Amino acid sequence: MVAEAKLKSAEALPDVWKDGVESAEFKALIDAKQRAIVPMIIIYIGGYMGLSILAGFGRGLLGIKVLGAVNLGFMLIAGNYLMSWLLGIVYARVSANRHDPLVKLVVDRAAARRRPQ
Amino acid sequence: MNAITVAMFVVILIVSLGITAWAARRTQTTSDFYAAGKGLTAAQNGFALAGDWCSAAAFLGFTGLTALYGMDGALYAVGPLVAFCTVLLLIAEPLRNTGTYTIGDVIMYRMRQPPALAAAIVSTVVINLAYLIPQMAGAGVLIKLLLGIPYNVSVMLVGCGMIIYVAAGGMLATSWVQIIKAVLMLGAGAVILFLALAGVGFDPLALFASAQEKAGPDFLLPGNLLKNPFDEVSLGLGYMLGLAGLPHVMTRFYTVPDATTARRSVIWVMFLAGAFFACTTIFGLAAVHYLGPQALRVGNPGGNLTLPLLAQHLGGGKNAIGGQLMLGFVSAVAVATILAVVAGLTLATSAAVANDFYVSLLKKGKVEERRQVVVARVTAVLVGIVATLLGILAEGVNVAVLVILAICIAASTNFPMLVLSLFWRRFNTGGVIGGMTLGLVSSVGLALIGPAYLGANALWPLVNPTVIALPLGVLGAVVGSLLAGRDVEHEKRFGEVMFRIQTGVRSSQS
Repeated sequence: MVAEAKLKSAEALPDVWKDGVESAEFKALIDAKQRAIVPMIIIYIGGYMGLSILAGFGRGLLGIKVLGAVNLGFMLIAGNYLMSWLLGIVYARVSANRHDPLVKLVVDRAAARRRPQ
Repeated sequence: MNAITVAMFVVILIVSLGITAWAARRTQTTSDFYAAGKGLTAAQNGFALAGDWCSAAAFLGFTGLTALYGMDGALYAVGPLVAFCTVLLLIAEPLRNTGTYTIGDVIMYRMRQPPALAAAIVSTVVINLAYLIPQMAGAGVLIKLLLGIPYNVSVMLVGCGMIIYVAAGGMLATSWVQIIKAVLMLGAGAVILFLALAGVGFDPLALFASAQEKAGPDFLLPGNLLKNPFDEVSLGLGYMLGLAGLPHVMTRFYTVPDATTARRSVIWVMFLAGAFFACTTIFGLAAVHYLGPQALRVGNPGGNLTLPLLAQHLGGGKNAIGGQLMLGFVSAVAVATILAVVAGLTLATSAAVANDFYVSLLKKGKVEERRQVVVARVTAVLVGIVATLLGILAEGVNVAVLVILAICIAASTNFPMLVLSLFWRRFNTGGVIGGMTLGLVSSVGLALIGPAYLGANALWPLVNPTVIALPLGVLGAVVGSLLAGRDVEHEKRFGEVMFRIQTGVRSSQS
């Protein structure tokens, strides 16, 4: 029991995956990860590729003055910095609070099922 | 020759060699040599990632590009930060959970077929050399300019430094060289930022207004450097997905104990490197404000001297002791920057040759641990010598173009290969080979017939072919997988792969 509680992720667990991958908690983990990661991917690819495409084809649009000499292009560039940092913080929080406990649950239960009776 | 630069450079050398001696005593096993014993903390790896990812192109280049071309320089600077979103969300944790020392490990674990590993080795070595040669050539030009040492001697000095760091101290020495470089780079950035803003009453908007006034109304618009709109798109696409395929940066995730630490180290580098990238835009505008656009163009065609010149001006000018001190400091940091990056590249290349090719492919893993470490060290020396010779031969080659090519190849070959290996059940060895071949041939081929090499006679208009090569790489991977046919056992085993990607738990056979 104590040994299992201290289970390190790098340790070999023979065939644990066969039950693990079918388990409800593993499906819950994949679901939770997809719910967090897919929207984030859409946001940053949209935000950054939008900027890159406008840089190529929207010269006039990016040149619109917004704040003194600062134009829309530089505002969008600043927006991309903020977007990346915010995504980083949000993902780190969601992972630590939701994903990590689920990973631990998956591994613990899978190991428990494999324990010789 | 600037005595202050030499003095600071000597201090950096002594400290880094001291660290190497310390690290050498702690480097006994392959895990020590390739992965610093997997014992770095999130903050340490975050700093080392910043030191690894910010080459001279970032430290000097982004400032210079902004000063010479306005918004395109700022676009060059933001991409390398956004690139870490891809790494954070898709790559860092799965890579840490499935591999041991290299990208090849991940491919071999997933495919279990030597041809797939061979493909990963080829793309890793090609990408690393395409990245390493311009760093060596850049080092030669820079040290020649800053210290007055001839080009060939400068390249050889850098070559000797990196060989000693890597062959003797392995990943532990390389990591600490990168951490120190990152601290120096951020320190220099903070001082320059403070002085540059102090001169305009801490109003960054004033720098925009002044730069536009001095450099003309179009200066703050995009397209001053990248004339073809598709080159802007290629730049964005290459950065966004290419970093995740760069072996020398990705192998840094093996130096931490687990996936959670790998993830936290990405957050560190996003703030450390991202803050510096944002500052380079301010530095570029400040250079135009303080020095004027004409002064920046004289003897500084690529813009690489912009930051040292700005630092000198902010320190009080050419004849003031403060100016000399700032110039010396920035120059020494530039050299430290290059050393840290080439050390990382040499180590990653050695790992692909010694661990993937010699141990896994040639000897099927049947090599004694002690011997593996010896082979790794010897390989590091050989890779270093080859890189130095190529660096000497590359004098005068357009180095910025080679870096773009390296990132383009990484985005078109390693990135699809990694992501599909991790997340697509039907992906197989045929797909690895198809994707690698089509991605590599199209990126190198299109670059060679483009304006970067043929100038006005170019057969096709883009400097950076990512916008075509990346979709071709993905297409090759998908078509290759489908053509290779279905392998039920291989697809069934994907459950094990999925489980290990998420949990890091190894099964008995892997």
